[in-house]
Amino acid sequence: MRFYLYLILFILGINAGFGAEKKAHAAKHEKAVLKVDSASAVDVRHFDQSVLNTYRKKPEFQYKEATADISGWTRFWRWFWHWLDSLFSSKPAKGLPTFWDIFWRIFKILLLALGVGALIFFIFKAQGINILGIFRKKATGAPIPYSEFFEDINTINFDGEIEGAIAKGNYRFAVRLLYLKCLKHLTDAGLIDWQIDKTNGVYISELKNQQQQEAFRMLTLQFEYVWYGELLIDQQAFKTIDSSFKDFNKQVA
Amino acid sequence: MEEGIFEQRTDLGKLNAAVNQIKATLGTIIVGQQDSIDLLIAGILADGHVLIEGVPGVAKTLTAKLIAKAIDAQYSRIQFTPDLMPSDVLGTSVFNPKTIDFEFKQGPIFGNIILIDEINRAPAKTQSALFEVMEERQVTIDGHNYKMQEPFIVLATQNPVEQEGTYRLPEAQLDRFLFKIEIKYPSLEEEIRIVTQQHQHKTNDQLAEVKPILSKEDIISLRNQVRGFHVEPKILEFVAKVIHETRNNKSLYLGGSPRASLAVVNAAKALAAIKGRDFVTPDDVVWVAPAVLRHRIMLTPDKEMEGVSPDDIIKQIIQKIEVPR
Repeated sequence: MRFYLYLILFILGINAGFGAEKKAHAAKHEKAVLKVDSASAVDVRHFDQSVLNTYRKKPEFQYKEATADISGWTRFWRWFWHWLDSLFSSKPAKGLPTFWDIFWRIFKILLLALGVGALIFFIFKAQGINILGIFRKKATGAPIPYSEFFEDINTINFDGEIEGAIAKGNYRFAVRLLYLKCLKHLTDAGLIDWQIDKTNGVYISELKNQQQQEAFRMLTLQFEYVWYGELLIDQQAFKTIDSSFKDFNKQVA
Repeated sequence: MEEGIFEQRTDLGKLNAAVNQIKATLGTIIVGQQDSIDLLIAGILADGHVLIEGVPGVAKTLTAKLIAKAIDAQYSRIQFTPDLMPSDVLGTSVFNPKTIDFEFKQGPIFGNIILIDEINRAPAKTQSALFEVMEERQVTIDGHNYKMQEPFIVLATQNPVEQEGTYRLPEAQLDRFLFKIEIKYPSLEEEIRIVTQQHQHKTNDQLAEVKPILSKEDIISLRNQVRGFHVEPKILEFVAKVIHETRNNKSLYLGGSPRASLAVVNAAKALAAIKGRDFVTPDDVVWVAPAVLRHRIMLTPDKEMEGVSPDDIIKQIIQKIEVPR
């Protein structure tokens, strides 16, 4: 069955080929016909020059690109980049460069680097950024514009001041001085690190010796009640407090 | 509590007993978090609202609920959600056909102890509804003022803003919170205790075990007592210097307000009361300062990017100011 189908298709194909060849042959023998326009002569028309000139003068028909004048700022940058290029270009100069040529070139480069560095520094400074902090591993913390007179326990004449306070009957102030004196003793003995920002609680925790810590905690409590709590004390109460401070100082020494 | 070496001007017996009882009760359920519990008690004594922040699962809500249960007062809880409306919190006027008039229906904010869970899940519109009630203890609706009952305490919990679905609270609202308590993850030892404790109490409802310790009247009376505590003028100066410095510090975009100064003093007084004193020491101020200030100050963007925390800046500020002595 398939064989017959191929056969029919083959015969039809041959037939189509012959048909196409016959048509091409017939076309070769047809005569060419040239058609000629036999109408009247062509009337050549021209544009009106005056109208054209009028149009040319109108801004709508001005197609020339406007070129802006180069500003001073642009000229400056052109000069700058040209100068920068001349500094770093490796074009060979006429003849061999002298020592002064090389020196002058290096000097100009250093001057430029210094100028750029100074500019960056002032920008950072104006922004309030610590430029040195950028190269550090960790930020050192915010600078605090705060200053005031700090009381230094190392410069106070405790014995004289305490005597003066007792003489005036100002036992509250005397207890304060006793406490500051005690802090000085502990600092001198290397048992605490005296700093303006440390609270009494911090000093208590700095004492490693349990017995000393407990004794100092009691003294701190006495001081706090009298000083911060404004608890009024008489001579008798002061004597008790004074002796407890003296005992502690002896212990520390 | 500190030793009674001097005779107290104020009788703090009842206060100390109550504080110890609250701490003991909470200590049986909450593991660790001693500082947070002290701050919560201080907040109640100082007549302040407390914001508790922590990642999910660190017992923020449980702590707040326990404190609320320890006080015999009207307690209400509001779960803040993104679609919550101001009227859902404050209340609204409803038409009553019987009386042919509008009647005000109070919202859950009308209570003594209000637990606002996940406060930063509601948008700014709903947060704004809390401004008046938190500061002035009153609600104005349809031209009528509704006063809150005393005591009025808002205990709010929130997830850190980095968490999904949270909003940053407005600065004006944050300023109304006395403390922001940050609850961290427990240590390994604490974690073991939590698991063991939970295992042993698995059949009991722990909250049901908590009985009220303080009444409304007790709280009002204790607050009046604490308000009258002595503060040395030099300590007041110290507080003012700390707050003033937050306004001039280059690391801070927003410093503490005068309300912050008052908050530090009140909080320090409350802490002194917890420690059994009727006067404030610099230690009290230094201890409460981070909790009072950390949510009121705002870091500059560059400091935030450096990973500096508000607590770091507060510490730096305090370190530069001489402790009055």
